[in-house]
Amino acid sequence: MASDSAALGGVIHDIGYQHYEGPRLGRLQITRALCWHSLRSAFGLGRGVKAKIVPVLTFVIMCAPAVINAVAMALHPAGGRIINYDTYVNSLRVLVMLVFIAAQAPELVARDLRSKVLPLYFARPIRRSDYPAAKYAAFVLACLAMIDIPVLLLYIGTIMQVHGGSAIWAQTRAAIPGLLVGLMWAVLLAAVGLVLACVSGRRAFSTGAVAIFLFMTFTLAHVLTAITESTGPGGPGGPGGPGGPGGPGAGTSTAAHLFGLISPYTVLDGVRQWLGGTNPGIVGNPGSYGVAYGIMLLVFLGLSLAGLFLRYAKVDLG
Amino acid sequence: MTADSGLPAPQQQQPPGDEPPAQPVIATTSLTKRFGTLVTALDGLTMAVGPGITGLVGANGAGKSTLIKILLGLLAPTSGQASVLGCDTASQAERIRGLTGYMPEHDCLPPDVTATEFVTHMGRMSGVPPTAAKERAAESLRHVGLYEERYRQIGTYSTGMKQRVKLAQALVGDPRLLLLDEPTNGLDPAGRTAMLDLISRIGGDFGISVVVASHLLGEIEQICDHLIAIDGGRLLRAATISSFTQASQVLAIEVDEGIDLLAAELGRRGLDPVLHERELLVQLAGEETFDAVRDAVADLGLPLNRMEQRRHRVEELFRAAPEHAARAMGAADGQ
Repeated sequence: MASDSAALGGVIHDIGYQHYEGPRLGRLQITRALCWHSLRSAFGLGRGVKAKIVPVLTFVIMCAPAVINAVAMALHPAGGRIINYDTYVNSLRVLVMLVFIAAQAPELVARDLRSKVLPLYFARPIRRSDYPAAKYAAFVLACLAMIDIPVLLLYIGTIMQVHGGSAIWAQTRAAIPGLLVGLMWAVLLAAVGLVLACVSGRRAFSTGAVAIFLFMTFTLAHVLTAITESTGPGGPGGPGGPGGPGGPGAGTSTAAHLFGLISPYTVLDGVRQWLGGTNPGIVGNPGSYGVAYGIMLLVFLGLSLAGLFLRYAKVDLG
Repeated sequence: MTADSGLPAPQQQQPPGDEPPAQPVIATTSLTKRFGTLVTALDGLTMAVGPGITGLVGANGAGKSTLIKILLGLLAPTSGQASVLGCDTASQAERIRGLTGYMPEHDCLPPDVTATEFVTHMGRMSGVPPTAAKERAAESLRHVGLYEERYRQIGTYSTGMKQRVKLAQALVGDPRLLLLDEPTNGLDPAGRTAMLDLISRIGGDFGISVVVASHLLGEIEQICDHLIAIDGGRLLRAATISSFTQASQVLAIEVDEGIDLLAAELGRRGLDPVLHERELLVQLAGEETFDAVRDAVADLGLPLNRMEQRRHRVEELFRAAPEHAARAMGAADGQ
């Protein structure tokens, strides 16, 4: 081989420089390639074994309830499905997504900041905003895979045990809102995760920022809601009648509803119930406060995306 | 993937100089860039760069990097215009970036991927389809002299190898113009020579126009066809390389003891020596300067440690009057 002879100090046959005459892809296709590359790196693909540990482990843990459901239904066909599509296993989902986002969002954005590779991207035929757009799209897809593949497994495991077209149709109709809830989670959590992860190029800092924010806000929302609920329903003159249209949230105080707005997780679950989800979740039914949850979701999403795009509009190119 | 895949060798050579200066590769008109009200990086710079290898010389902070970023459309000028390969930097920046390869001054490589993976990815980002990007990455890395090492993680590389990877990623998209910002930074003398040879080949054999920004005139004058010197964001001088090489040189003399005696003796012989740290610098007029210094040292019986011929730094060549060049050099070295 030429390289061997070169290493030995021999003269290699110089074939000269070849110009590239093939097609050149446009901005959109380059952005798509960056998105695909980032999606792969979100699961540690194309990297070493170490990079795969967290994504694979979290994914397996996330799928476990769906597998358990399938086994349980196979053993006791009469028992029916044991896990809801829209809430899945809430506490598990909160925790696993926290770990996944805290570990993998820095993988997408902090690495490039740390190694100062951004000037190389921006010296290529893409625009400033294409980079965060590709990263965001990739991370939404990664989070969606983490949340909705287990839901799909749950669905498949269930329909293998039910019989008759109407039963399968009923499962399908129940599963679709579940998948949409997963999409809502992915869209919001990916944005929050990335904007926190790109505050610093130091991996430890960006992982810390994501983990602390998601964990603290969730714990705070959870604890404060629990305290206000235990001290008695009916807040001090709740405007607009906090009871709402009855249901599980009827006894929750105004304060408890407002505390649920602190965390992206509780906001997501509140919006799920506001949009018609009836299964009990990590917050009480927001009732007439549902609009507030909807607005808060948009505020979280808007601020995160604005912060993310602004970060790259202002990034220092050394 | 192998280096010798039996490709034909069309020498698409464009000997610089034979080409009429029809369309400049780079042209700027009263280009000004201010950061805030205090810092003026470029101050009404008007210049043109033709095909071939052009050296962009200037002291640190002269505005070289700012100019390169404006040419790539990464920074917007405060006023004035610039065009690259006939495209306006304000309105056709993406097209320019598609035709231009950029090697930044600073570190810009992720440590935990292999050179092959990284350069392939950067090829994809230049708009080359997947399979072609792999081929181009292998070829670019071979051209810069990385063979089996390219399958190793970049974090394990020496500075010289990293500089080669930085050059390979600029080359992978087959640009028509390369903008290299201080490509010899951090390299040892052998690495510098290798890098300069490589740039010389790219500008010659590969037929790619190259702009090399450097603060070391002595280095890039070896490979450049043209030189453009800027200082304080203004054009100092633009000329062919030959007119620059006539510039005066200095002789540095180091003795173990009696440096004051030697200075006085050299002064008597009309050499106007300048004391800089532990060396004496004298203007080098020709062979007679060497003789005079030799005689002075011999007459005083001083232990001569070193006698070295040096070229001025860029800033003295243009800023200082010739008779004060040695003095200016001393000041620059002392920084």
